[in-house]
Amino acid sequence: MKRLYILFVFSLLASASFAQLDRTKMPEAGPAPEIRFGDAASFTLDNGLKVFVIQNQKLPRVTYSLILDRDPILEGDKSGMLSFVGEMLTAGTKNRSKDKFNEEIDFLGASISASSTSISASTLTKHQEKVLELMADVLYNPVFPEEELQKLKTQAKSGLASAKSDPSSISSVLTSKLVYGTDHPYGENETEQTVDNVTIEDIKNYYNTFFRPNIAYLAIVGDVNMDQAKTLVNKHFAQWKQADVPKFKYPIPQPPAKNVVALVDRPSAQQSVVNITYPIQNHLPSPDYLASQVAGYILGGGGSSRMFMNLREDKGYTYGAYARIGSNSLVASFSANASVRGAATDSAVNEMIYEIRNMRENGITQTELDAAKANLSGSFGRSLESPATIANFAINIERYNLPKDYYATYLQRLGALTVEDVNVAAKKFLKPDNMYITVVGNGSVQESLLAFGEVQRFTTSGDPEKQIAMDEGMTAEEVLSRFYDAVGGEAVIRNIKTAKIESIAEMPGMTLGMNFYYDENIGAYSNKVIVGGGVMSNTVMKDGKMSVTVQGQSQTLPEEQYEAAKLSMFIFPELHFENLGYGMVLDGIKDVDGQNAYKLTVMNESGISTDYYYSVESGLRIKTDGQASGEIAYSKYKEFNGVKYPMQMVIKSPMIPMPLSSEIKKVEFNKALDKNTFN
Amino acid sequence: MIRKLTLSLLLSAFLALSVLAQNKIEFKEFKLDNGLHVILHQDNTTPIVATTVLYHVGSKNENPERTGFAHFFEHLMFEGSENIPRGKFFEIVESAGGTLNAGTSQDYTVYYEILPSNQLELALYLESERMLHAKVDQTGVDTQREVIKQEMKQVMDEQPYGSFQREMPVRLYPNHPYNWPIIGSAEHLDNAKLEEFMEFYAMYYVPNNATLSIAGDIDYEETERMIRKYFSEIPAGKKAPYRPNIEIEKLKSQKVDVVYDNIQLPAIFQGYLMPKKNHPDTYALNLLSTYLLSGKSSLMYKELVDKQQKALQAIAFPNDLEDGGMFLVLAIANMGVDIDELNVAIDEVLATVKQEGIDQNDLQKLINIKETQLVNGFGSVANIAQSLAQGHVFYGSADYVNSQLDKFRKVTAEDIKRVANQYLNKDSRVVLKYLPKPTETTE
Repeated sequence: MKRLYILFVFSLLASASFAQLDRTKMPEAGPAPEIRFGDAASFTLDNGLKVFVIQNQKLPRVTYSLILDRDPILEGDKSGMLSFVGEMLTAGTKNRSKDKFNEEIDFLGASISASSTSISASTLTKHQEKVLELMADVLYNPVFPEEELQKLKTQAKSGLASAKSDPSSISSVLTSKLVYGTDHPYGENETEQTVDNVTIEDIKNYYNTFFRPNIAYLAIVGDVNMDQAKTLVNKHFAQWKQADVPKFKYPIPQPPAKNVVALVDRPSAQQSVVNITYPIQNHLPSPDYLASQVAGYILGGGGSSRMFMNLREDKGYTYGAYARIGSNSLVASFSANASVRGAATDSAVNEMIYEIRNMRENGITQTELDAAKANLSGSFGRSLESPATIANFAINIERYNLPKDYYATYLQRLGALTVEDVNVAAKKFLKPDNMYITVVGNGSVQESLLAFGEVQRFTTSGDPEKQIAMDEGMTAEEVLSRFYDAVGGEAVIRNIKTAKIESIAEMPGMTLGMNFYYDENIGAYSNKVIVGGGVMSNTVMKDGKMSVTVQGQSQTLPEEQYEAAKLSMFIFPELHFENLGYGMVLDGIKDVDGQNAYKLTVMNESGISTDYYYSVESGLRIKTDGQASGEIAYSKYKEFNGVKYPMQMVIKSPMIPMPLSSEIKKVEFNKALDKNTFN
Repeated sequence: MIRKLTLSLLLSAFLALSVLAQNKIEFKEFKLDNGLHVILHQDNTTPIVATTVLYHVGSKNENPERTGFAHFFEHLMFEGSENIPRGKFFEIVESAGGTLNAGTSQDYTVYYEILPSNQLELALYLESERMLHAKVDQTGVDTQREVIKQEMKQVMDEQPYGSFQREMPVRLYPNHPYNWPIIGSAEHLDNAKLEEFMEFYAMYYVPNNATLSIAGDIDYEETERMIRKYFSEIPAGKKAPYRPNIEIEKLKSQKVDVVYDNIQLPAIFQGYLMPKKNHPDTYALNLLSTYLLSGKSSLMYKELVDKQQKALQAIAFPNDLEDGGMFLVLAIANMGVDIDELNVAIDEVLATVKQEGIDQNDLQKLINIKETQLVNGFGSVANIAQSLAQGHVFYGSADYVNSQLDKFRKVTAEDIKRVANQYLNKDSRVVLKYLPKPTETTE
């Protein structure tokens, strides 16, 4: 009894001394945990469908993912078609209308989604029979309704329109074209034209050719046992007919022989999107794949990387700077990117190149390696929570012929990497003298970029900008004078003091009326937007003020906004550039949708500028582009009282979701206007 | 570093979760002498561990003259502690292979780390440092005040329709602290003195106002030992935390207002009062919102988005709160659709449910959707940890996670019709008409 008591006291003491906590020391990590994840069982159907079953009974749910393993496809003049396939597949079947299909899936609390290379279904286990039936219906019986394709095309085109004003999208189109070339599946990009070219037949052909079991994997992950899985798979997928599927080979893109600077000029830009990139050969089976990922992480993988610390924390050029060494079975790319302050563009490029070269030449440190290993193992561990990760592992092993224990030994191989291993990979993948240095930003940075190589200019569609020679002696005044002559002569148009212009814009599901009223005698302007017979908004400029009335609520706008919009209040703004004190710069000849045009940059005193484009051939104004008003294209000029006026205007603006095409229905010059027009 | 601490706003609020009976979430609970409530859930399938500390303090606990304090702390609590150097919190967790974040609501503030399971002790160390002696000093206050002013601009002013977080509650809760936005007022933060922050810390960031929940690859005994090691020495709070005890007054009549915002498309936001978070009717209201807007076959999506094409997008959201939540119905108008016409269309859809109710088939669909959502939520130990803590704090038991689906199953089709009529009441609601701030003309 006494003995016991002493022991008890002892143990109390022991625990008490243990509780003397030294809080100045952070706790050490325990022994690294063993990573356990489900093993995939697999079998193959007679039609060639390879099935992986990853049993995970943690939760009563299951996911069926059908994945096609085909070569990348060069879509050519139908570019964009593949992006429609998924939505088209789930837009109704021979057995179920789109509405019925949605209702049945929703009823089960399940989901089915598709793309051009996959169909996936996710459900609670107890509904799997029914959900598999629906999934099979999508696979075997899609009807591809025409109206759905039209809807998708419209969406795609509005997406394209807005992409042209989005610097990140411009940058990604430009870099994909440069790195892979436009005749490579990874380098081609859709345009309005290629989207228009897509037909239902194309989608049906694609479906018939490529949705074949002999190139497909089916991954089943979740609460399902092998016997059940075999029965269900045989029931739903054994009748899937195999067929030969074409294979494609593509040339391997090579990095440029020396650094090339590619610039897209966006006059309104205050930031530059910088992306330094080139093609590389790197993929999961490559012996130095893991080392390349560590190198990429240290160079620019997160919030404590070299790029980030240098460009953001030290220099403050940007909110974030990143780099990655990509991987892909066909061809991958290296990329270092940042959105930087316009004025710091060349300095930022300089630092980014410095970091790339420095890592290649001087390698990494042990501390960096340790932090990178910890971080990469941590994200690997977290990724295993999602059952889809384990399915991907099984498929990758099969698809890329990886060793069976590739993922089982992932952490061990990561842990074994040395500084030297990473330095070797850095030397191999970092090529500071063979890069495309791309900048989407204000053209004024062009001079400063010459230090990094020859500067080539590209359009917002990522195509080389055409350099068109302008006649010697051409002046801004001459461009305007030709414009006046083209529309009917300066004297004639100066004589137009009032105008009433009525136009109609058709949009999906509605018609928008836009009426413009000008009275230059009293210096007044009004723009009324009419919906369903009622005035939705009315913008009025007069007496040096601008006000907007929306749904009965009226507001006077700040003076800067009035100043920025002021030119809109004239029937022919050109006539007023000079007397309002606007500066004009003739900036050469540009390609505007296939037409050569003089570009005239017109700037007010506070520096807000608008670009005016005049056709070299006809002299007519064909486009204006400004920060305040967006882009407006003018076409179909028609004569009224001896004056030519455009009958069509297409407006693209970040303020509206899609290009707005308005047809002008009525033009009246020099007729008295109702005196309430401008109230 | 992307130190973006997220305000857990309405639309991203965590779903409280539950699973099927046959998938019971097992857990162990104990309380330290200082009042810290601990909940542990072992799940060894993935070698990671999620550590969550939920403090039972949100914007409703604030002094009306000092709004924004709760959220301010969500930032301040990353400034470091006596032993953690300023600004190192993120780096420590990330270079240990983890990830972390925090969130603030009207009712609570939550912090979490997800780390490899051999780093559990690190998470406990960091969280205990935060609870014991976080850095509440002038430098931290000054730094975070500026960051939060940027955040205010971003979430309230720059984000389209973001101002509804201010505009809706101010009208719906005339007499209750839910009245002000979680992010609070810049002026209040400017006026606050360091002592006030210290008092707030001393009152709310104490073990007896906190719930520590850990889910993942743990050993129960070892984890308990480590928790005691790091948290036992933290003293309990001296003063009882202030909790408002105010019955929310219902509006006497409908409030309709126009809000101008930096948006392109007009929108309607309807807000209705909900009962208290643990009231049985919240389940029926939750199912009602699922019926209205969840999936392509839901009533309001089909009617307003697909068929009539009056709305580009629509959402119904039951934001349940401890003292009484708000049921939100919002719709963004398609180009050119009149805002009043959209409001009428929403009311027509709501009237259909109020008059006709739903049938058994509809009800079954709602239960099926809910069941799937709840099961999927348990695919993540981080969610499990949060749900256990929320169950304990707001529903009286961590076992709430296991009983939630049964509560949904008890809802009848009649209940849904009844709650639609009882709570989605036109006469005591708020309707906000969002209109674009006038800008330049397009020509």
